[in-house]
Amino acid sequence: MTEAALPSIRETSVTDAGRLRALKRFAAGDALFRGATLTAAIAVLVLLGGVIVSLAVGSVPALKAFGFDFLTTQKWNPVTEKFGAIAPIYGTLVTSLIAMLIGVPVSIGIAIFLTELCPYWLRRPIGIAIELLAGIPSIIYGIWGLFVFAPFLQATLQPWLIEAFADVPVLNVLFAGPPYGIGVLTAGLILAIMVLPFITAVTRDVFLTVPPVLKEAAYGMGCTTWEVIRKVVLPYTRVGVVGGVMLGLGRALGETMAVTFVIGNAHRISSSILAPGTTISATIANEFNEAVGDIYTSSLIALGLILFVITFIVLAISRLMLMRLERKQGK
Amino acid sequence: MSEAAIATITPTPAVAARSFEAAKDKVSVRDLRFYYGDTLALKGITLALETRKVTAFIGPSGCGKSTLLRVLNRMYDLYPNQRAEGEVMLDGENILSPRQDLNLLRARVGMVFQKPTPFPMSIFDNIAFGIQLYERLPRSEIADRVEAALTRAALWSEVKDKLRASGLSLSGGQQQRLCIARTIAARPEVVLFDEPCSALDPISTSKIEELIDELKSDYTIAIVTHNMQQAARVSDYTAFMYLGELVEFGETAKMFMAPADKRTQDYITGRFG
Repeated sequence: MTEAALPSIRETSVTDAGRLRALKRFAAGDALFRGATLTAAIAVLVLLGGVIVSLAVGSVPALKAFGFDFLTTQKWNPVTEKFGAIAPIYGTLVTSLIAMLIGVPVSIGIAIFLTELCPYWLRRPIGIAIELLAGIPSIIYGIWGLFVFAPFLQATLQPWLIEAFADVPVLNVLFAGPPYGIGVLTAGLILAIMVLPFITAVTRDVFLTVPPVLKEAAYGMGCTTWEVIRKVVLPYTRVGVVGGVMLGLGRALGETMAVTFVIGNAHRISSSILAPGTTISATIANEFNEAVGDIYTSSLIALGLILFVITFIVLAISRLMLMRLERKQGK
Repeated sequence: MSEAAIATITPTPAVAARSFEAAKDKVSVRDLRFYYGDTLALKGITLALETRKVTAFIGPSGCGKSTLLRVLNRMYDLYPNQRAEGEVMLDGENILSPRQDLNLLRARVGMVFQKPTPFPMSIFDNIAFGIQLYERLPRSEIADRVEAALTRAALWSEVKDKLRASGLSLSGGQQQRLCIARTIAARPEVVLFDEPCSALDPISTSKIEELIDELKSDYTIAIVTHNMQQAARVSDYTAFMYLGELVEFGETAKMFMAPADKRTQDYITGRFG
């Protein structure tokens, strides 16, 4: 140490110049790196802006032609060129709602089982199986839904639902009509299966971030596993859990291929969720190829804009929810 | 297992001896061996925790003192491949028995950890939580119990105006006292402290030591510590452990003045460890 330091003291001026040069080189590198990352970050904003602008511009003819009626009418007639978006909006929201109602509790249940209850030797196989489920392309879900799942529902669940709720008010309207197999409910169920691995993977990972000592402290007071999950694990991880649910919801809202296969693609709103319907993304995918005329194309682009807005609203609501949760928490 | 079964079957002398013990000793550990997988971490420990006294466990890292503590509330049960053999009697009942209800045991044997572990909820709820686990009480009574526990833990004056704030908003020392308040609010019989001051500053440490001294009028206390002075200050009995064995166990004053074993003397005088 001292031997190495001695010569450098004598050659101070030389070393300082060398150091300065080296520093300048670092500074240039730093600036370059900073510029590169900044560009990448700004590119995101530009892209987002570009998408919004082109969607908005593209949908102007349709919105001009139909005005506010575009959001409220059901009619979708390429021949007379009369278009209304309410049926696909309704289908998008209802299929996603069904998917969330079924997918969220099941996913969180799986995540709780995997992190708290599952025997250790079984954790890896189940975990890997869920990740594989996330890797299945949506077209496969679509084909499977159309050829296997829908006929299965047509033969089993749907007749049972129709019969079981035939005398129950409200529910008999919800589960009415002939069992088509394909329809809004089937699409919702397929979506539930598709979002399940995403929500499960995220919630499992955030559950694993709970410090073991915190769980031990809760167990150490005599808590049961349920109480530990309810009072410690879930409150500790709620931001992450909500994030996982939103990720799943985003996927459900935008999912195209699988839904197109099983929803029936009917531009109408039925009171029964067994009836065929359509979603925004399914409509766009189905009809964009055949869309002739400015108004038709523009109406489809306007649908895209609406989907964008819905996704944005969902994100905003989740942020608000988290903020309110945190305020209640007293942070 | 089989030894425990035989012990309970064997007639009068042993039983009589035990009920006599129970009055004096809250917890008595006999020939306790503990395994992490195939590794033997405790090699036949026998000792007793006297009722309403403080027993300190000292020894170099890895000697098994925290392991011993985690046997007393069977915390090791949460993890696979960890098992204990031998006998640990709490009021004359073997808590290592598979029939032992773990939730009940942990309600009777509270634990305070090395790192403060406030739950992600308000200060008030942190305390009320433990009370409500086992008792259905009217709101006002819970508030009384919360105040009593916080007062007992010398924290009330500091937090009484912000009971609704998150437990995580407190300082480290306050969090640790919150955890102690939470533990005693559930009215345990034994309180285990696992190096409760190792993450705290000297002032918080002395507050917690005073608290431990104060608590022993009601609770049987076991404390693991790396700090020899702390063991000397707070405990009535000290156990020196080394490499999974109990080297020496006796009254604290005696042990620090005139240790019987050479290794104990070397450790407390700082020659190794």
